[in-house]
Amino acid sequence: MAVAVKSKKKLSIRDFSKPSEQLAHVDPEDLYPLPPPYDKVEEQPGFKRLSEEAKRKYEATLDDTMVVNIPKPKDKEEEDKLVRQFVSGLEKLFSPENNWTFLQPLTLSMEHCARCQTCIKDCPIYEASGYNDIYRPTYRSEILRRLYFKYVKGGGGWWKKFNNGDIELNWTLVSRLLELSYRCTLCRRCAQSCPIGVDNGQISHDLRKLFSCEMELAAKDLHEKGTIQQLTVGSSTGMNALVVKDNCEFIDEDMEERTGIKVETVWDKEGADVLLIHNAGEFLAWPDNPGAFALILQEMGISWTLSSEIAGYDGVNYGLFYDDVQLARIAMRHYEIAEKLKVKKILMGECGHLTKAMGVVGDRLTQATPRENAMAFLDGVVFSGKLKLDPSRNDFPVTLHDPCNMVRSMGIVEPQRRVLRHIAPKFREMHPHGVRNYCCGGGSGWAIMSQNNFLDWRIQVSGRKKFEQILNAFADEDPGAETPKYVCAPCSNCKGQIRDLFDYYGAKEKSGLYYGGLIELVVNAMVDIKGRFIDWEIM
Amino acid sequence: MTFLHFFVYITIIVFLAAVIARGVRIARMPIHLRWDLYPIPHEKGRAHYGGSILEEVDWWTKPRHKDHIGELKVMILEILLLKGVWEHNRKLWFGSFPLHFGLYLLIGGEALAVLGGVLHLLGQQFLFLQPVITVVIWTGCVLGVIGTVIMLLMRIFDSNLSKFSTPSHYFNLLMLGAIYVTGILWLSGDQGFAANLVGFYAGLVSPSVMPALPAVAFWHIGCALLFMFYLPFTHMTHFFTKYFTYHSVRWEDETNRPGDPLQKKLDPQLAQVVTWSAPHVGADGRKNWVDIVTSPAPEIEKETK
Ligand code: SF4
Ligand code: SF4
Repeated sequence: MAVAVKSKKKLSIRDFSKPSEQLAHVDPEDLYPLPPPYDKVEEQPGFKRLSEEAKRKYEATLDDTMVVNIPKPKDKEEEDKLVRQFVSGLEKLFSPENNWTFLQPLTLSMEHCARCQTCIKDCPIYEASGYNDIYRPTYRSEILRRLYFKYVKGGGGWWKKFNNGDIELNWTLVSRLLELSYRCTLCRRCAQSCPIGVDNGQISHDLRKLFSCEMELAAKDLHEKGTIQQLTVGSSTGMNALVVKDNCEFIDEDMEERTGIKVETVWDKEGADVLLIHNAGEFLAWPDNPGAFALILQEMGISWTLSSEIAGYDGVNYGLFYDDVQLARIAMRHYEIAEKLKVKKILMGECGHLTKAMGVVGDRLTQATPRENAMAFLDGVVFSGKLKLDPSRNDFPVTLHDPCNMVRSMGIVEPQRRVLRHIAPKFREMHPHGVRNYCCGGGSGWAIMSQNNFLDWRIQVSGRKKFEQILNAFADEDPGAETPKYVCAPCSNCKGQIRDLFDYYGAKEKSGLYYGGLIELVVNAMVDIKGRFIDWEIM
Repeated sequence: MTFLHFFVYITIIVFLAAVIARGVRIARMPIHLRWDLYPIPHEKGRAHYGGSILEEVDWWTKPRHKDHIGELKVMILEILLLKGVWEHNRKLWFGSFPLHFGLYLLIGGEALAVLGGVLHLLGQQFLFLQPVITVVIWTGCVLGVIGTVIMLLMRIFDSNLSKFSTPSHYFNLLMLGAIYVTGILWLSGDQGFAANLVGFYAGLVSPSVMPALPAVAFWHIGCALLFMFYLPFTHMTHFFTKYFTYHSVRWEDETNRPGDPLQKKLDPQLAQVVTWSAPHVGADGRKNWVDIVTSPAPEIEKETK
C-alpha cells in the first residue's frame, strides 16, 4: 500500500494563473531521506538555484528549475498573441484531423476524471517532492481540463463552471503550463491506479504536443538537438554515418582484444535477416553494448546488418515524448530503411522508448517489417543452447531496473528475468518491480536534459525513488565499494539517468554501484571469451 | 397523461439520448496510436504478471490466444467491488464502495419492480417479488446513505479532495443522498412500498392502475429523475465510458501486421489534412499526414541544404 498523503504545499488550481515570482519551491528538507550513507541532507551536493540571468531572460516562474527556456515576451501585445496561439493549439488538439493519434484517449481523460485523487500516491515525483501540489499527477491535468471545457466545449456558462470549475487564461498560465508538462516523465504509473482509466501521463504528453506542433515550443534537447538533428544529420547524438562507422571499427577492435573473438560489424547488407537498430547513444557512451550485440549475433550465426542511412543507425525517437509529427517522421524513416534492405525483421536494441515507438506506437502508421525487442531476442539466445554459458562468471549481486516503456507500456516483463535467473546467481528484484516499477527518473527524454539546474532536479526529485530502490535491493550485501553491485538497466535512457544518479551521489566510490545492460551479462557469462567482459576498472 | 408521466418520459428520453449520443461520439473517434497499459487481462497465461505476446521470439508468427473470461473477471471485480480503489486508495473505498454498491442495489431493486409492473400488466402474479424488492432497496438505500455521508465528509475535510472538487461534486453527493434518504423514508412509512413501486411502473404504461403514492414517494421519484436528467452531462458518465477507457485504450492491442485488416481503417485518417501551425510541421493547408511525415518539413530542408 502507498503511504498516506499529506500535502505540504497548499496550492489551488486558480493560483496557477496568478502572477508571482515563483509558484512552487522544493526545500532539501522536503525530500524524504535516502538510506545510509546518503541520508544526511548536509552531506549531499545540494540543490543549485537558477541563475538570476536565466530568470531575467526566460519565463521561470513555475518552480526551482527550467527546461524549455521560454523567452519573455516583449510586451503585452506579444503575450496576448501567444495566448491566442495557445487557444488555437488547444482547439487543434481536440480535432480529429490534427490529433487523430490520441484524440480518443485524451477526450476520455478530459471528460471523466472523478477528481478522487487515487492516482496521486503512485507518482514518484509527487512523493519525492514532499507532496508538493504542483507535481500531483492531477494538477496539470485539471488545468487543461478546465481550459478544455471553457474553450473547446464552448463558453464559460454557469453549468460548465459549476461542473468543471473555472480558470483564468493568461500568459502566466500558458508559460507555466508548458514548463509543467515537463515535470512528468510520462511513466504512466499513475494511470495504472486510476479506477476510471484516466491517463495523466498521456495528458502531459499531449500538452507538450500542443506547444510543439502549434507554437514551436519544446525542450531543445528533444526538438532541435533531438528529432530535427536526427532527421538531418542522422542521429540525435550529432554523429553522421562516417563517425558512427569509425566508432564501430574501434568497437570491433576492442571486442577482439577483450574477448579473443574477432567481431565484424556489418553495414547496409541487403537481404540480411536482421536489421539491428540501436539507440546511437550506445556507440558513444556504452560501446560495450553494441559490441556485445555484434558478437552475439555473429556467434549465433545470424545474418545481420546495421544501416548507415540518415536515422538508420539511431533508433531514438524523441517524437514519442512531445510531437506526433516528428514521431511519425522518424518511425516511417526506420520502416522505410528496413523495407529497402529487405530484411526479415528489425531487432530493436536495448532502449525502452525506441522499442515502444518503433515496436507498437508507430505500428498504426503503416504495415511495417516485423520488429523484435531485445529482451525476447536475448531470451531466445540464452535458451537456444547455442552459446556455452557459465553463470558463475556473473558471481556478483545483480538487480534489474524495468524500463517503463518496455514493461508498463508493452508487457515485456519475463524474458529479461528468465535470462537473469539463468545467468546471474545473485540476481534479486527491486520492490516494486515489473509492471508496477518506478521510472528511473529520467523518462520522456529527461536523461539527456541537464540545462540550467535541471540535472539537480531530476536527480534529487524525479530520480530519488529509483536510487532508494537500488540501495534497498542491495541492502543485504556488504554496503561498501569492495563488493561491486550491478544494476541491469536494459535501456539507454535509463542508463543515462542511472549514470547521473551514481555520479551525483558518488555511489560507485561509496557503495560499489555499477550499471549496464542485459547483453553485457550474457557475454560475460560466455565460456568462449577470454577473461571477463564486465570490467569494474573501466566502468 | 399526468405531469408525473410527462416528467418520467422526458427524463428517460433525455437520459437515453444523451448517453447514446456520448457513446456514439466516443466510439466513432479515430483509431488512435497504440497506448496499451499493462497488465492486460486478456493476455492468456501472462496477465497475472502483466506480460504480453511481445515477450515471444518472432511474436508475429505466433497465434494469439485471448482470454475473454479473464477479462470478464477483472471487469466484474472492478465494477462490482471497485477493486482498483480498494488496492490504491483504501480510505476512499470505504465511502466509494457503499455509495456505488448502494446504487447498484437500488437500480437492481427498481429493475425488479419494472419486471413486477410488466407481470402486473400481463395479469400475472408478482407477489413473490415484493419481499425481494423491499430487501434489495432497503439495503441499497442504507449502504447509499453510509457511502454518501463518508464521501461528503471526505470531500469537505480531506484537503486532497476538497482542493480539486468543484461545486458539482458536492451537489451530486447531496442529490444521491437525497435519493437514498427519501427512499428510506418511503420504505419505512409505507407498508405497501413494493406493491406501490410495482404499481407505479405499471401505471406509467397504463395510468388507470397508478396507485395513490405517499407524498415522500414523489420526493424520491423527483430526486431520482432530476439526477438522471443531468447525469449524462457530467463526468459521472464514467459508469459506461469506463468501457472505452479500458477496452479502447488500456487493453486495446490490435496489431497492424502485413495483411491485418486494421490498415484499411487507418488510411482515411492518414489522408486528413494537417493544420498545425508550427513551422517544422510544414503544413500548408493541402498536405495530409502521409505527405507531411514522408517529406522533410521546410525547416528541415533548409538545414540539409
Ligand atoms: S485521474 Fe483517475 S484516479 Fe486520478 S483523480 Fe482522476 S479519476 Fe481519480
Ligand atoms: S506519468 Fe508518472 S511522472 Fe507523470 S504524473 Fe503519472 S506517475 Fe507522475
